[in-house]
Amino acid sequence: MKTMQSGLIRWRTILRSAGFALLLTGIAPLFSGPAWAIQSHPAPEGLYAHQLAHFLFIVAMALLSYWLQVNHFTVQRGWRLIQVSCLLFLVWNGVAILGHWSEEMLPAGVLLGNSDWGQRILFQGNPAAYLYFVLKMDHLVCVPAMACLLLGIRSLYREALEERGPSHG
Amino acid sequence: MVDSWSMAPVWFTDVGGSALMILLSLGAVVYAVRLVRVQPSNVLWTYLLWLTAALCGFALSRGVGHIAKRLLLLMEMPDIWAVLKPYSGSFNTLAFAVVAAITFFFQRVHRIHTEILRDQEALERASAEVMRLNLGLESLVEQRTHELSRSERRYRRIFEGSMDMIFVLDAEARFVDINGAGVEALGYSSPEEVVGKVSFEQVFACRAQYGELMGDLSSRGYVQARECTLVARDGSERFILLSATVRKDDRGRVQSFEGIAKDVTARVHMQRQLQQADKLASLGQISTGIAHEINNPLGIMLGYTQLLLRDMQQGSQLHDDLKTIEKHARNCKVVVEDLLKFARGTRTRRTSVNVGQCLREVLSLLAHQFELDNIRIQTEIREDLPELRADGEKLKQVFMNLLMNAKQAISQSGTITVRTRLDPREDALLVSISDDGCGISPENLFKIFDPFFTTKPVGEGTGLGLSVSYGIIQDHQGRIDVSSRPGRGSTFTVVLPVSPPANESPGSSPVERRQP
Repeated sequence: MKTMQSGLIRWRTILRSAGFALLLTGIAPLFSGPAWAIQSHPAPEGLYAHQLAHFLFIVAMALLSYWLQVNHFTVQRGWRLIQVSCLLFLVWNGVAILGHWSEEMLPAGVLLGNSDWGQRILFQGNPAAYLYFVLKMDHLVCVPAMACLLLGIRSLYREALEERGPSHG
Repeated sequence: MVDSWSMAPVWFTDVGGSALMILLSLGAVVYAVRLVRVQPSNVLWTYLLWLTAALCGFALSRGVGHIAKRLLLLMEMPDIWAVLKPYSGSFNTLAFAVVAAITFFFQRVHRIHTEILRDQEALERASAEVMRLNLGLESLVEQRTHELSRSERRYRRIFEGSMDMIFVLDAEARFVDINGAGVEALGYSSPEEVVGKVSFEQVFACRAQYGELMGDLSSRGYVQARECTLVARDGSERFILLSATVRKDDRGRVQSFEGIAKDVTARVHMQRQLQQADKLASLGQISTGIAHEINNPLGIMLGYTQLLLRDMQQGSQLHDDLKTIEKHARNCKVVVEDLLKFARGTRTRRTSVNVGQCLREVLSLLAHQFELDNIRIQTEIREDLPELRADGEKLKQVFMNLLMNAKQAISQSGTITVRTRLDPREDALLVSISDDGCGISPENLFKIFDPFFTTKPVGEGTGLGLSVSYGIIQDHQGRIDVSSRPGRGSTFTVVLPVSPPANESPGSSPVERRQP
């Protein structure tokens, strides 16, 4: 009982800290300005940071998927779907990293016209162009990933409802 | 243009996919919230809520950015998009980091959840064990209560059904509980009349005896087979053999007394009667012998004295001397005759006698004298008394003796009560003569029927009245019971059998009987 209470307290502390960190992280960019005094951050840094974030996302999803597996969560349909979601997000992050990379690799003149609905892509046997065209449709991976997450949580919810019994509505 | 493809499918997938991402992530958040509400204590659901919230944030950040980009470019506002683009990209990056950060907490949350589950299981096991023990305890308590109740009933039956007096006294020696035998022995009709109302001291005939008993109880903690004399509600004495113990608390203070008393009144009476009978029988034999031996010379002395008196001139000194001899010889003869009556050495003429009538005749003789002496006589003589086969004159003599004794026991003024009743158990007629006089001391109580025993001053009584009465009643196969409390008065009860003695037939003529 004592351990359970201390566990709950620890969990609340973690969540509170995470929430606070999230809040700070969320509002910090609103007040950001050029950091001239310390170091200049030219354009490629943003892309690298973004790519590293994707990589971090991959590690996180891989770890989560692994933990779900080793802790035998996947015996439940809901957690199994969440694991699938993790793997799809993992793939999507890979797709996104490659997509960003291929975008950078595109030679000038491959994309014809303005970046609107009328824009066209000129392949001319350029693998980066093909790669860019295919990987730009990354939603074909991340939407199923999010759908799996939704279905997984819905499945867990239904199981929890059944577990609670009909008398509780 | 042959080798160029439209980017429209890409942009369409981008916008549609972004919208779907937003919708699906919101759906996921909604289900996560519901999950938390269903099982609020499950930290894994809380974790999932945070994860879905972060992913929703990611979907919103990315989806809104992508849709905004397409819309702004469609609306030919590339400049605005150029301003927003870095922010959108930054938010996306942050969203990834946040999702990743939350994900890293999973193992820790899982560990906490496992610990909670383990504790919960331990708690449930402990609770189940407590429930099991509780059920066992209830069953045990029920069983013990049942056993206790059965035991209580058993001992209550022993308590209530005992022929001996069983009682419990409180620290002040007041009755707290007493069984039926005790209530009956003390002359009450129900325990309620005794419990809390009567003290043990009240029922003792002698305060000194009570004090000695309580002293022994306090010092030794118990008494065993102690002979005590109690007084019942009606004043009759009860002889008991008392065994009692004291219950004390940790500090040695008396909590209660518990006792068992065996009523040996009947046995004591019988023993005393036997002793008395033996003694009086011996005295009777001696008296008879002496009386007969004295009677003859006394008769000769009296006869010769009377012969001499005939020849003497009246008024002469010798005549007066002979008269004195004659008077004392006559007195001696009366004494001898009384001795013979006591020893049942005289003739008994049995006729059909109404005892009530005998009593009334005696009372009428004494009434005037008693009235002069301020003695009130109360009578409760039943009219329906059966006639007895007895010597009426001798019975009158007995009643006269008893009434005179009662009068003498009352020094100034008082009341004498004469009561008759029938005892169907003994098939006997009882005549009791009670007075509220000085009573008889216990040491004298067993001597009162002895010939020549008297407490009167010398010359005022021969001490043969009760002895003679005893002899007469014995001759009628009856007995005289005496109960007395010093200072409170005495009761003499003449018990006469109603049915004729076994050696007499109901229709036989009066028989003169001379006892050996």
